[in-house]
Amino acid sequence: MKPSTQRTTTAPREIALTMSRNAVSRFLPLLGEGILLKGPGGETVEAFLVKTAGVSPAYLKERVQTVFLNGKALDDFSTARVADEATLALSAAMPGLAGAVLRRGGIYAPMRRQISHEAQSQNAGGGEIYITLKLFNMVARELGPEFLKRGVLVPGVRLKDFMERQGRWAWEGCLSVKIDGRPAEVGPAAELIANSHWIRLSVHASG
Amino acid sequence: MDKILRINMGADGGPKAEAEPVGSYAGMGGRALTSAIVSKEVPPTCHPLSEDNKLVIAPGLLSGSAAAMSGRISVGCKSPLTGGIKEANSGGQPSQMIGRLGYAAIVLEGKPKDDTLYRIYINKDKVEIKADKSLKMLGNYAVAEKMKAEYGDKVGCISIGPAGEMKMAAASVAFTDMEFRPTRHAGRGGVGAVMGSKGVKVIVVDDAGCSVRSPKDADRFKEANKAFVAGLRKHAVTGQGLPTYGTNVLTNVINEAGAYPTKNFMWGRFDGCSKISGETQAETENTRGGEGSATHGCHRGCVIRCSGTYYDKDGHYLTKQPEYETVWAHGGNCGIDDLDTIAMLDRLDDDYGLDTIEMGATIGVAMEAGIAKFGDAQAAISLVKEVGKGSPLGRILGNGAAVTGRVFGVERVPVVKGQSMPAYDPRGVQGIGVTYATTTQGADHTAGYAVTANILGVGGSVNPLKPEGQIELSRNLQIATAAIDSTGMCLFIAFAILDQPDTFQALLDLLGSFNGQKLTGDDVVGLGKSILTMERDFNRRAGFTKEMDRLPDYFKKEKLPPHDVTFMVKDSDLDQVFNW
Repeated sequence: MKPSTQRTTTAPREIALTMSRNAVSRFLPLLGEGILLKGPGGETVEAFLVKTAGVSPAYLKERVQTVFLNGKALDDFSTARVADEATLALSAAMPGLAGAVLRRGGIYAPMRRQISHEAQSQNAGGGEIYITLKLFNMVARELGPEFLKRGVLVPGVRLKDFMERQGRWAWEGCLSVKIDGRPAEVGPAAELIANSHWIRLSVHASG
Repeated sequence: MDKILRINMGADGGPKAEAEPVGSYAGMGGRALTSAIVSKEVPPTCHPLSEDNKLVIAPGLLSGSAAAMSGRISVGCKSPLTGGIKEANSGGQPSQMIGRLGYAAIVLEGKPKDDTLYRIYINKDKVEIKADKSLKMLGNYAVAEKMKAEYGDKVGCISIGPAGEMKMAAASVAFTDMEFRPTRHAGRGGVGAVMGSKGVKVIVVDDAGCSVRSPKDADRFKEANKAFVAGLRKHAVTGQGLPTYGTNVLTNVINEAGAYPTKNFMWGRFDGCSKISGETQAETENTRGGEGSATHGCHRGCVIRCSGTYYDKDGHYLTKQPEYETVWAHGGNCGIDDLDTIAMLDRLDDDYGLDTIEMGATIGVAMEAGIAKFGDAQAAISLVKEVGKGSPLGRILGNGAAVTGRVFGVERVPVVKGQSMPAYDPRGVQGIGVTYATTTQGADHTAGYAVTANILGVGGSVNPLKPEGQIELSRNLQIATAAIDSTGMCLFIAFAILDQPDTFQALLDLLGSFNGQKLTGDDVVGLGKSILTMERDFNRRAGFTKEMDRLPDYFKKEKLPPHDVTFMVKDSDLDQVFNW
């Protein structure tokens, strides 16, 4: 499912889960499907991630070895700019020849010239923009818990689908639920997920 | 490893085994040895299932030693799938055991005069060859259980399933893993069919009483091994990404790049990708089987541990962690987004003895032909079961995508030299397309996989702005890969070598100290070139021409969404790959 960046005029409902510590990681694959981020337009990819997502420049440089902007492999995130409705995906270094080929600025980059992101000549525009951010593999593992703690904006339909795929483990390890800041049960939370256009989901580890 | 065990299955009076000195093949291992024997001893124009073909099973140069990551094994022959030379590679326990038994290779020759099925038992004192009707049409799992009951769980098994017995061109050769399960396969090119044609169901290797192979320079070897392991553990790919998620970590990334072949190579993105990603798979395994289930080695001595164990919904063992190529072949390529279905298909493939890539690609072609609908998980399972039963439809499917496409009149058949392409669309990553087109093996992602060419200094520096850059990169990668395939080392070591010159030096020291020689990058390059030259020469004598070093035409004509790209490398450039 392509993440939709269509916005609602109403504020999204909030669901906060407190999970046993080892159950939090079950939510990490959700970050690979895309979360909505709001931030200033006209920024470079690097600046946008630092300002809006709180990712450190050092982490980006060292750990984020593979980056896609609108599905195209990016070699330099300090010059490419994000525009409204862009999709940005971050990954650690990947195995396989394909992994080496897709790496930022790697020596095998010529092998994927046709799907490389080209430098933009025009300005990406200013103002407030919404982008879809995808976190994959080790990047999701390392940055994901903090994103989940702060809360991530996801389409309700995708969250419903994600929870259903967990089967009997979906709510296992869930110690408490809050809806819009008030204590709630699992049932109403599941119902809210099923009936909401957007949900702001936060997941906290117990203890 | 100073001898070769030759077993003549067609000898007068019944099969006979004879060990002979390694002779002119001295110093070769793995792919170098399989390709040297096939190239020198097999008539290139012979029928792959005839008595003239040979099945060569060769551990790597360091197999049986204490070197980390040295347990890969090569299986070579003339391929029933491609008609050319074949080396298929596997993990599992037998490689180390054969090395400790002192054999550089086991060669199955000739052919029984009837359809008697044999089992072979090899230990340090004897080679026993027995007819065994009870094994007929058993799956690999049942064969392993029977052998374990008889010989105990300290031996290793090399076996074929029903697909190999039926001599299907997609048949694999199975190797037991550390848990005595037949989950590791020399999958590609129909090597299982050649073993079936020799009438051999299983080879049991027993290294009881054998010691670990000793290096000539023990101190240097120990130091090099330590540095090599440390290098692998500290690297982000080999020390973190692969152990945590396995090779399926690539699903999200290749999909995002728009190079994930979907529904028989019609699209470059799959909507259900996140449901079958490595991240989802690892969480599923760890949730169902307990923390750590997604991290496991394919043989003893593996420090990367990119495999794992897949449990069903009730927490029971179903199969080993399906690899990226398997998840793609049976998943996105067939429009299937359910990991449990994919794991079941992997289990069936392993049990029947089938190459997962070839089977997934074949079912994709069958779906395009209308035999089943894309996304129909139950239909996919039924089709693989047809192969296991050997029904007329199953016989067609079990002979691969090219045969299936021909039988059902499908134009979009993603094969080169008759072998199915793996999980990277060559229109998205065109450099991989160059390797698919030109490798001696038929479309094969691992033929140009060892991303070490820059360290080895093969072919000089590459100018990325020139179109021939991709040709040079593919050439260099194929040379480096052929060399690593000969060491018995897992190809995944290449990532640590790519980024860490000290780890590459540790590998050279490991190889050099074992033989008491000083090895240089040039030596490794020379080895790679000599292997490719032998293989190219065999294929040429088998009737291959440069016109076979091409991708199917539709890759040049049909645009691949979402980036709408076609394969643009010129034929004349492809012809330059082996000009060195």
